[in-house]
Amino acid sequence: MLPMRIHRAPVAALLLLGHIGLARAESCAPPLHPRIAEVFYDAAGDDTGHEFVELFNSYGVTLGLTGARLEAGDGSAPGRWTLRWTGGIGDSIAPGARFVIGGALLPAPPQALVTLDLQNGPDAVRMVWPDGAVEVVGYGALEFPEYACGSPAPDVASGQSLARVPDDADGGANAFDFRAAPPSPGHANQRQRDLAWLAGSVRLAAPVVRAGTAALIQGTLENRGAESLAAGSCAWSVREAGDTLTLAGGILASSLAAAETASVAAVIHGLPEGRHRLLLAASAPGDEAAENDVDSLWVRVGLGPLQLTEIQFHPAGGEGEWVEVVNASSTPLELATFGFADRGEHPGRIAAARLEPESLAVLAQDRAALLARFPGLDSTRVLGVSPWPTLNNSDDDHHIADVASLIEAEGTFSDQVPYSAAGVAAGVPLERDFTGHWGPATVTSGTPLEPPRPRASVPGRFQIEPHRLLAGAEARLSWDLPWPRARVSCALYDLGGRPRGVVLPATEVSGRGEQRWLPSELSAGLYLLVLEARAPNGEGSLAVTRPLRVEAR
Amino acid sequence: MPLLRRVLVVAMLFAVAARAQEFSEAAPAGHLSAAALLERGLPARAEALSGAAIATRWHGLAEIETRALAAAIGVRALRIAVGASQTGETDLGWSQVALGVGGASDRGGAALRGSARRRLLAAGDDGIGGEVGAGAWVAASPDLVVWASAPQLWTRGDPPPLERWLEIGARFERPEAQLWLSRAASPGAPHGLRAEHLGGLLLPAGPAAVWIEGRDHPARGTLGLAVAAGRLRVSAAVEGHPVLGETVRMELAWGERPWW
Repeated sequence: MLPMRIHRAPVAALLLLGHIGLARAESCAPPLHPRIAEVFYDAAGDDTGHEFVELFNSYGVTLGLTGARLEAGDGSAPGRWTLRWTGGIGDSIAPGARFVIGGALLPAPPQALVTLDLQNGPDAVRMVWPDGAVEVVGYGALEFPEYACGSPAPDVASGQSLARVPDDADGGANAFDFRAAPPSPGHANQRQRDLAWLAGSVRLAAPVVRAGTAALIQGTLENRGAESLAAGSCAWSVREAGDTLTLAGGILASSLAAAETASVAAVIHGLPEGRHRLLLAASAPGDEAAENDVDSLWVRVGLGPLQLTEIQFHPAGGEGEWVEVVNASSTPLELATFGFADRGEHPGRIAAARLEPESLAVLAQDRAALLARFPGLDSTRVLGVSPWPTLNNSDDDHHIADVASLIEAEGTFSDQVPYSAAGVAAGVPLERDFTGHWGPATVTSGTPLEPPRPRASVPGRFQIEPHRLLAGAEARLSWDLPWPRARVSCALYDLGGRPRGVVLPATEVSGRGEQRWLPSELSAGLYLLVLEARAPNGEGSLAVTRPLRVEAR
Repeated sequence: MPLLRRVLVVAMLFAVAARAQEFSEAAPAGHLSAAALLERGLPARAEALSGAAIATRWHGLAEIETRALAAAIGVRALRIAVGASQTGETDLGWSQVALGVGGASDRGGAALRGSARRRLLAAGDDGIGGEVGAGAWVAASPDLVVWASAPQLWTRGDPPPLERWLEIGARFERPEAQLWLSRAASPGAPHGLRAEHLGGLLLPAGPAAVWIEGRDHPARGTLGLAVAAGRLRVSAAVEGHPVLGETVRMELAWGERPWW
């Protein structure tokens, strides 16, 4: 078991070197040794070549590294330390300098080129010095105390490094000394003056910007420097990439102390329809870190090229959920570059396919089941989505059941449809009509891969088309009831009033809809179809009779 | 005539079909008249020159109203009737002419009836169709009349709007009341249903009479009222249906003696 805190430095030596950190009882960093200043163990994407550990000499003399060992600890069990690097003869760090041990893909070549292969937390790294001193930096929820000094540091998000802030912090526990920060190999973790955009804070207040409306952008400025920034000295601006015209901007009216943040909002009018890459810049006098002064944001104004046309969120025929999409652009679309998401906004990947302009495709939860339910569909345009974002069937307090979204590769929304399930009968999808209005589909089971059926007026609440039907042909029954949904049934009688069959068993349907009907084993003659409908709350009912002539072929 | 009665009872049990159409009167089932000769092949008892004008609104649907005229003559035992009707004004409608020829006496009668229809087909062509059937009745006793009708024994061309098979019935007639029963086959009826049954009661009241009828599959009822003045009769009947609208029949008849 290795000691967690080392206090072996002779006081005389410390006095000799004039080190200000005189024998702090709770120090995690052994005196007269470089300290671990930064650990970058989880790059965005593949870690290989990006990982590094930075050592910092905070003393006034050059410190040697010969024989020093960098070890990685696997926090899943005790005693799992493995060597990653050993300091060679001549390796040293000048006063106030840094020594980077890391991969080949760092912005600047490290002093020691090593593939560290560090693990994501809860894990640890440690420096074991030739004199037996040890410094441990642990991160994540560690179970075994050997992997941290005091409380472990937080497990940082992918793309962030674990940085000692300020660079000479020595608070007596990893949790006090380290925090998440943008990787800065070879540079100070905390500048004296550094105004930056808080990582991940720049976003649109509403992810979809309708054509002709303003885009509201929100962001948070952060003082990452050690010094306070005076009131009126911090400015920000927004412009479009490739353009110098400032679209919005402002100055912080109040001062910003170290580690303080300030929210800003920009209202941008007049962005033309289409996709825009906006750059948000922050500036402060004497800012020492230009690399974090600019953040960017993709904004889609208006609808994108791939749009939703039909949403089946509560299938009744075992076909699984599905949505129909259309390529509304003039060029083919590679659907694999889009994602489909619900309100959770974690998009499922659409299977690879090329969709021609003005063509429809169906994104299916269960492709095989959908094709079984609708065997006439063009299977090349029925695509799976993995994972499928299950769509909700019942409304929340804001009368929204869910939000169906098509998301582009840059994270912009090509289309987004919040929908309500209220009044939509089970099994009936929502469909966008030619005017862009969403409502229950005119065909009860939906029209996958078919354009929306025009909502013809239904005189007298119930119609049969055609009303003279060749035996064996299909008829279309359409209704327009005075309720948003109803329980309907349709029965067939002959002219003598005798029952001749059930056309539509009692079913919950939308107030406006239609049903295809193929009369079978029905001889030629004049028949009467009776649609009986009842409001779900029992507040009303009606029955409409229409004659139908079945003609012999 | 016990033998005849037994035959009729057996026939009723095995009957398979029928119900009226264009010349169906506002009158009790099995009534014998000019219209009945055209509709069911049931000739009138008496020698007479008679006629009837009938209007029917089927199940409350204005688009399939029927208007019909019928005329009949009886000379000795010979009975002849002719008629014409128009049903509906839209492309669902059709027109028809009908002829009935038969013989009758106080003890019984039989006749052939036939009709030819014309209507506009969906394809734009004329649809021509015809049918021939027969009917007969027997006075099994002074108080009992039994009848049978198969109005569509033979059909050709454009199919009729309503299939009608065999109907068979019996009427018990007394001055103070009349009772009748009939059984008609139900073509294409679901759930194994083979026939519908009808029962009725007529009560005379001087120059007027009121009758009710009940029918099954589905349960329906008819209320009728007739008023006679000499040989002129006006009658009306309303048939209710649990799902469909009411069927209303109006009739103006002349030349016949009242049934009651």
